[in-house]
Amino acid sequence: MLPGADGLPGPQQLAGLHQVEQVMGMPVSLVIADDLPYRALTALADGVFGWLRLVDELFSTYRADSEISRLDRGAIRLRDCTPEVRAVIDRCAHFWGVTDGYFDVYATGRLDPSGYVKGWAVQVASDALKATGAPNHCINAGGDVRVSGHPVPGRPWRIGIRHPWHPAKVCWVLTGTDIAVATSGTYERGPHVIDPHRGRPATYLRSVTVVGADLGAADAYATAAVAMGAAGPSWLASLDGYESAVVGEDRQAFRSAGLPVQ
Amino acid sequence: LRPGTFTGTVAPTDYGPVQVRIVVTGGRMADVTAVQLPTDEARSRQISGRAAPILRQEALNAQNANIDTVSGASYTSQGYRASLQAALDAARR
Repeated sequence: MLPGADGLPGPQQLAGLHQVEQVMGMPVSLVIADDLPYRALTALADGVFGWLRLVDELFSTYRADSEISRLDRGAIRLRDCTPEVRAVIDRCAHFWGVTDGYFDVYATGRLDPSGYVKGWAVQVASDALKATGAPNHCINAGGDVRVSGHPVPGRPWRIGIRHPWHPAKVCWVLTGTDIAVATSGTYERGPHVIDPHRGRPATYLRSVTVVGADLGAADAYATAAVAMGAAGPSWLASLDGYESAVVGEDRQAFRSAGLPVQ
Repeated sequence: LRPGTFTGTVAPTDYGPVQVRIVVTGGRMADVTAVQLPTDEARSRQISGRAAPILRQEALNAQNANIDTVSGASYTSQGYRASLQAALDAARR
């Protein structure tokens, strides 16, 4: 896409912007549906992707020089970290407490807050877009979704939950104008969520989706429920303000009564 | 205050009976913990007269639906290329 001259629309005549970039090791898809000048839209998109790249620099467990890697090997202390890293570690400790230890950044034996960071980072980006004049948008970071406002005036965003056995099908369709949807599961990368109490990968639940106001919390809850296995569904049912949809390895499907299904 | 650990009487609450325990050292209250009795959640909900919330069972559908985006377990770059989200992204270009 080429930018238009001084705020005039570029070659794309539809209102809004759509951009996909590889950040944090995954494709991130951004849709801004606000009818803004093209240059304003590209500046907003640059802000979102710039933020996500910064998050990757701070939190990546694949980069030896990230603050998280240095913190893990004791090269720096928590109090010397950036406020973002300190805030994330603090929130992760909170989620460790409310999930009976099933959300555990040390589940693999090394410090890895990825189960919260992705959702948190996207939530921060979404809040920033809302605060800077783009309240209508959708951010999808590797399957974790945050939507705000409307894709076109008058209709809510429609979010499919991927069918855990059919890559091209969905098993539920959610609608919302201000919701976060996080899914954790085993069908893409195998059993990679470690049950920290047993020290082995959790395999009982194939797909767990959590829906609520905050994508960081939804992400942490979904990861924790996968780690819990058979106990996950009843724990999810007890959550206040967060709805859920679960599919077991035995193909049984469950959802909470308040799930915003179409 | 006398040094030691003191446990209060059991008080009924919406979540079941709760007991408060305080620890006194050096004449001051050093720690307070609320102990919920019994710890078994199902029993405490039974006491409070509420049904434990459960998720409802449904048939697992496989749909082709008109959607804007897809939530799913995080994929590798290779997984993305084969995904419904990649097709939606391509359709928007």
